[in-house]
Amino acid sequence: MPKYGMVIDLSRCTGCRACMVACKVENNTPQENFWMHVFRFEDGTYPDTRVRFMPRPCMHCENPPCVDACPTGARFTREDGLVATDFETCIGSRYCQAACPYGVNYFNFDEPSGRYYLDWDNTVVPPYANPSLDVPYGEEQLKVAGGGKARGVIEKCTFCVHRVEDGRLPACAAVCPTNAIHFGDLDDPNSEVSKLLAESESFRLMHRFGTKPKVHYINGKAPRTGMVEIEQVGGY
Amino acid sequence: MVVTRRDFLKSSITVGGGALANSFLFGGLETLVKADPLRLAAIDEKWIPTTCWIGKQDCGMLARVIDGRVIGYEGNPAHPRNRGTLCPKGVAQITSLYDPNRVHGPLVRTNEKGVSGTWRQISWDEALELVGSRMAEVIAKDPGRLIWQKGRSKAKSFYDKAFVKTAGATKLHHGAFCSDAGYRALEYTVGMHAVLSPDFRYTDRIISWGWNVTSGGGNKMCWLTWPQELVDAKERGVQMVSIDPRQRSAAHFADEWMPIRPGTDLALALALCNVLIDSDTIDREYLSKYTNSPFLVQGNGFFLRAEPDGDDDEGKPLVWDQASNSAQPWDADGVESALEGEFTVDGAAVKPSFQLFKEHVADKTPAWAAEITGLPASQIAQLGQMISDHANIGGTIEIDGMTLPYRPVGIMAYHMAQQELGFQALRGMLMVAMLIGSMGAVGGTLSDFTWKVHKNWKGLDNISITDSPNLYLNKSAFWPINSNNSSLVAKVVVDPEKYGVAPKELPEMVLLHHVNPLGSFPDRDANVKAYETFNFVVAIDPWLSLTADLYADVVLPAATIEKYEGPMSAGTMYEDAKAMRVPPMKPMFDSRGDIDIYLDLTEAAGLLYDEGGYLDRLNSELKLKDTFALPLDVKPTAREILDRWSLSQDLDGGIEFFEQGEAIQYKGELSAAKRYGYATDPPFGGAYPHRFYGESLLGYQLEMKDLGVDKIYWQDYTPFPIWRDLTLESSPSEFDLYMTSYHMIEFKQSRTLSPLVRELSPTMFMEINTDTAQALGIADGDEVKVESQNALTGETRSITTRASLRQGIRPDTVAMPHHYGDFTVHPWVTGRGPTPNSLFFTGEGYVTNTADQTYLVKVRVEKA
Repeated sequence: MPKYGMVIDLSRCTGCRACMVACKVENNTPQENFWMHVFRFEDGTYPDTRVRFMPRPCMHCENPPCVDACPTGARFTREDGLVATDFETCIGSRYCQAACPYGVNYFNFDEPSGRYYLDWDNTVVPPYANPSLDVPYGEEQLKVAGGGKARGVIEKCTFCVHRVEDGRLPACAAVCPTNAIHFGDLDDPNSEVSKLLAESESFRLMHRFGTKPKVHYINGKAPRTGMVEIEQVGGY
Repeated sequence: MVVTRRDFLKSSITVGGGALANSFLFGGLETLVKADPLRLAAIDEKWIPTTCWIGKQDCGMLARVIDGRVIGYEGNPAHPRNRGTLCPKGVAQITSLYDPNRVHGPLVRTNEKGVSGTWRQISWDEALELVGSRMAEVIAKDPGRLIWQKGRSKAKSFYDKAFVKTAGATKLHHGAFCSDAGYRALEYTVGMHAVLSPDFRYTDRIISWGWNVTSGGGNKMCWLTWPQELVDAKERGVQMVSIDPRQRSAAHFADEWMPIRPGTDLALALALCNVLIDSDTIDREYLSKYTNSPFLVQGNGFFLRAEPDGDDDEGKPLVWDQASNSAQPWDADGVESALEGEFTVDGAAVKPSFQLFKEHVADKTPAWAAEITGLPASQIAQLGQMISDHANIGGTIEIDGMTLPYRPVGIMAYHMAQQELGFQALRGMLMVAMLIGSMGAVGGTLSDFTWKVHKNWKGLDNISITDSPNLYLNKSAFWPINSNNSSLVAKVVVDPEKYGVAPKELPEMVLLHHVNPLGSFPDRDANVKAYETFNFVVAIDPWLSLTADLYADVVLPAATIEKYEGPMSAGTMYEDAKAMRVPPMKPMFDSRGDIDIYLDLTEAAGLLYDEGGYLDRLNSELKLKDTFALPLDVKPTAREILDRWSLSQDLDGGIEFFEQGEAIQYKGELSAAKRYGYATDPPFGGAYPHRFYGESLLGYQLEMKDLGVDKIYWQDYTPFPIWRDLTLESSPSEFDLYMTSYHMIEFKQSRTLSPLVRELSPTMFMEINTDTAQALGIADGDEVKVESQNALTGETRSITTRASLRQGIRPDTVAMPHHYGDFTVHPWVTGRGPTPNSLFFTGEGYVTNTADQTYLVKVRVEKA
């Protein structure tokens, strides 16, 4: 059984946020929820400044604090290492949100709306749907793909489980114009991700908490105190 | 290839489905855990190859279609420009397709113009009759008074060529805003119709001049390809210098940032020439053989010429032959031309133009340029040294079996051309490249994808200046070299007498095709005034643009991606391909494909059939072979025309080649023989000697003076680029900041109407240096009033926006993203804040030489 993970090459990222949009379209997530989030930072003072980018999906930790914190088992780790959410079991305790140091859990306070990808006024626009988001996946046969499913539940990046089960890359990795996001089997020494990790210096975000994230960053530096976020998503 | 999952399941990965299915349906992921065949079989999906509709590079896409509806797009790996990926706009355009705010059917205005429109939806028949009859009337009177303008042009054969010729319309360019001064400088100097790109795959050092390389798309491309080339080059170890007032432009990839004062690029270029000449980093072979730098210049500034041979000959320019110690025709056999020195021919002192240039830049030292550009002299000298260190003069490389000059320092420049001295700044930058022989060399500075000479190589050298110019002042005494700027047209319309334009030249009817002059073009005031005068305005557009809302009489709803359109180039600097837009579904609402609309319109105006009609023009513009030519008495569909074109190109299956294939005709890698100027036969496509010295510019200057135009028009028509203070520097001192604008990918094209993109960056803002802002009492996110001032007329304009405090911008500069703001009537755009286009000025004082547009003005900023 593979162990899926991601390797993000910061030296190739242009911070364009195509991955954020591709994620929204692929997963039909509600407004303001960005399962993949690309931060843009400015570092230093004029004229010794640098602009840096940091794409942040769910880390799909090997030791996921969210799974431990979940009171109902709605958050669970699949056999292939994907950390998934069963929205039908989720009671909205938001413990996962509190436990996760990465801020990747999004709670649907209201009935999901503003899902611009699929939610249109059907009196104007003929209805259409992505059937891949509505069928069960995995050993568990649970509907763990896609977002915007119900009020009062938590949703987050699934590593595009519905694509991965069909052998396709997650939407963010597939769309990336500069091929900065790599996805594959971390246990297979011949996989692209394993090779990249073997030949590059890498780090993981907040690894010190013992979460063992399966998202690795290469050819760059982690954000540090003093860096200023610019062009924040959502703006002013 | 239209592949269904069921088809795929019947075949294996390696056969039948082919590469497309391999990469897309099941591709990418190396280790597949389980693909539930029942689930896969249950989803009845198709992947229809098509072509992105938004930007200028027409990326390849695969539309995932379920039950006849597109539900998403992925990049097409067969397309050389995007290699299986998409940009944020490309992905987000799914919302444009289904946007309920599109124009649902033909609209006719029911209220007065100049205010937001009220509309009555009418049938296509009624709309076509209305527009067609009006068009026929205007054409019968004077076709030139029908103005046709298109935004980002696709399938030019159908629109820009066949339609414009059939109607005899006056064509306005899509803007003359993004880089036209650069195009003109390249056409004039080296004959290429493009600006500057480094030879990414062979260069060692990239000079990224302006913000295009990672944020703007730049030369020939809309966005995606250049960042791809850049990151690959960086991975090879290439280093890059970024010359831009803003760090955000290409900073992530720059090894050195040079925050130049906006509009002073020419001074920097001259200083780099000074350093190169000082260190004798000169490619004498190139300069002597392929440029006019050895031509002997007389005291009056014109070349010394041999006796004319016949009436049409002006006499060959002479060079000083060092072998015979005499003046000889520049192309005489065995001539050894001198680049330096002073010589006496028939008692008159003459100098090679290179000698004059050497004298011209002798005092343009890094210290001199430091004062002007605001860059440290040491940094300028260091850049010059870097160019010198990597110029590799005399070095060659073996490529595709040819031995070619290898000069691995390349310049990227595009949008920065739009500044007052843009034409001459680009000439100055070309001189940097020419001194080291890197124009058209391997690893050096390239321009268009292939070394194809443009007609302006000759045209711009032989302009007959007219004192009765047309609507866009082509060949006028004001801007003899002309870029067809529709904001300037607006000024002409408002005051034709000032420019000697006869009333009969003024527009009667305007046909706008996917173009929104009031929203997209700077100097909105001038455009509004012009639109007040137009009698009949028709917009072909999926949305109600600001221009249409205020001034259209009729709006014809165009489809977005759901139409046939093509053929379009899909090539890059390294590969050649043609793409086709194949409709992944039927047109939404009551919209029609653009080609179908032109067929309908020309039919309604009585211009479709018979000799000289639209069909006849299409036969010639599409170069349809006789066997496949369109009959001149039958109205075809867009698909039928493109089928004939495909058959004419010997593509098996005609249009099905694209429909059933990958919507692309891949023609393979471009050979070095096409890409490099030195590799063509004859070299540089025969367009040489390159105009190192712009003799004809001097000629134009004298004619302009003779025709009595003011100095402001002729002062920059000089053989060598001469730095002078920008006109905007005479704005009063309280206008103490430079305002410039830039592209931001989220909003780069106005066709990116998408709430998905708006969600990323909902409102307009202005970058301002943190220290500058603090001195003005402005905090991050504060509302600020920005007021610009026209240095010549004293007119002021202002907008209110939000301050975004940055370290990475010059303290004397503020900047806003452009083509952004309230450019159309749409809930996803309303409230987004004003566009900086409202602050810029067009024309005198803001653009010289080429009649295009400056994105630079002095402003003052205060907390609102």
